[in-house]
Amino acid sequence: MAEIAQDSGGGGHKKGPGVKKQARKDARVDMTPMVDLGFLLITFFIFTTTINSPKAFKLNVPDDSAKDEEQTQAKASGAFTVLLSKSNHVYYYEGQLQSDGSNFKSSNFKEIRNELLRKKGSTAEKDLVVIIKPNEEANYKNVVDMLDEMQILEIKRYAVVDIAEGENALIRVTEGTSAPAPAAGGK
Amino acid sequence: MSKLNKIARKSTWVDMTAFVDVSFLILTFFMLATKFKPPEVVNIDNPKSVSSDKVEDKDVFKVSFDKEGRVFISFSSDKEGREKAQLTADVLSRQKGLGLTPAEISNFIKFSSGGIGVPVSQLKSFLALSDAEYKAFKQPGIPVSDTLNNQLNDYINALLTGTGGRKPANIMLNGDNGTTYPYFKNILAAFKKNGIFSFKLITAMEGVPSGTPLYKRQKEQGGGEAK
Repeated sequence: MAEIAQDSGGGGHKKGPGVKKQARKDARVDMTPMVDLGFLLITFFIFTTTINSPKAFKLNVPDDSAKDEEQTQAKASGAFTVLLSKSNHVYYYEGQLQSDGSNFKSSNFKEIRNELLRKKGSTAEKDLVVIIKPNEEANYKNVVDMLDEMQILEIKRYAVVDIAEGENALIRVTEGTSAPAPAAGGK
Repeated sequence: MSKLNKIARKSTWVDMTAFVDVSFLILTFFMLATKFKPPEVVNIDNPKSVSSDKVEDKDVFKVSFDKEGRVFISFSSDKEGREKAQLTADVLSRQKGLGLTPAEISNFIKFSSGGIGVPVSQLKSFLALSDAEYKAFKQPGIPVSDTLNNQLNDYINALLTGTGGRKPANIMLNGDNGTTYPYFKNILAAFKKNGIFSFKLITAMEGVPSGTPLYKRQKEQGGGEAK
C-alpha cells in the first residue's frame, strides 16, 4: 500500500512519462471476446460438418428368372450356410443340414469370421460358396454386415437366399420362443 | 522499486493475436470444408462397411427405407435426375390414370429430391401439398410388404418405361440398420423384376480389421505402390 502511494506520488512528480505510458496501453486491443466468438463458430462448424461421407457398397444380385440349368449348383462339401436371426444371433452349418440338426451351430458376428476363415482355408476356392439366409427377424444391418464380411474375407461366391422353414424352426427352438420340438435339440 | 512493480503488472497481459489467427484459420477451414446436408424427410442410420468407394451424386435414383420400413424414392436434383423424375411422373400418371396436372408434376420433381413415399393412390393428393406442408407431412411410405401389391415396382417400372429402359447411372439403396430383412427382400424383388441387378448400398465407412485377407491384400498393394 505504501508503495502504491509512493508510486502515484512519483507519477505526479514527473507527468511526462506517465502520460506516455497510458497512451501505449490504449493501443492494445483486448482480443479475448474475439477468440471466444471464433471458437464458438468453430464449434458450430465442427458439429454441423459430416466428417465421414457415406461410402457406396456395390452389390450385384442374380437374376431369379434364369433357367435352372443356367444356375450354378453349389457343391454340398463347399457350402457354408449362415443363418441370421433377431438380436444379432448367427447360426451356421456346413454342407447340408443334418436331419437331426446335429451340425447346426450357434455363433455370433465375432466368431463367425474365424469359422468362415477356417472353411475358406480347408476348401478349394472354386467350391466354396457361402449362403446367407436371414429370417424375418434379422435386420438390414446384419445382412449388410454379413455381405461386408464376404468382402473382408475375400470370399468370391456368396448368395442371399430365403430361409427354409426347417431352418427357421431350428432357430426358434434354439432361441426357445416356441415349444422345443423333440428330435431337433439344437445346442 | 516502482520500476519493478510496473514490469510485473505488464506480464499478466497475454497477447491474444496469435490465438485469434489460429482460431480464425481453423474457422475458415471448417467453413470451406462444410457441406451442409440436404434436407431429408427421413432419418436413416446406415450400416457400416469396409467399402471405400465414393457415393456419386449425379444422376442418382435412390430408394431409402427407414426403421419402420417406410420406403421412399428420390432423384438427384441435377439435370438428369429432374428429367428422370419428370418422366416417371408422366408415365405413372398415364399408367395409373392419375391425371396429374403440370403443376403437380413439377411438384413431383421438387419433392423427389427430398423423398417421395406415398402409395400410388395417394400420389395426386400428396402432390397438391405446398413446400411447408410437404415438410410437415408424415409420409406413409411406398407399400412393399405385400408381394402382389409391391408399389415400388410400379414406380421403378414407370421410371424405366419413361426412359425407354435406360437406367440411371447410380442406383442406390439407402437403408436403416434396424429395418427387418423382409423389407430389404421386397425392395430387391422390385429391383430384380425390373431388370436392375447391380446397384450400390449406402454405408458408413469402417476400417478393415487387421489380420483378415482383405487387410493383407490392401497392405501388400499399398506397399507395392509405395515402392
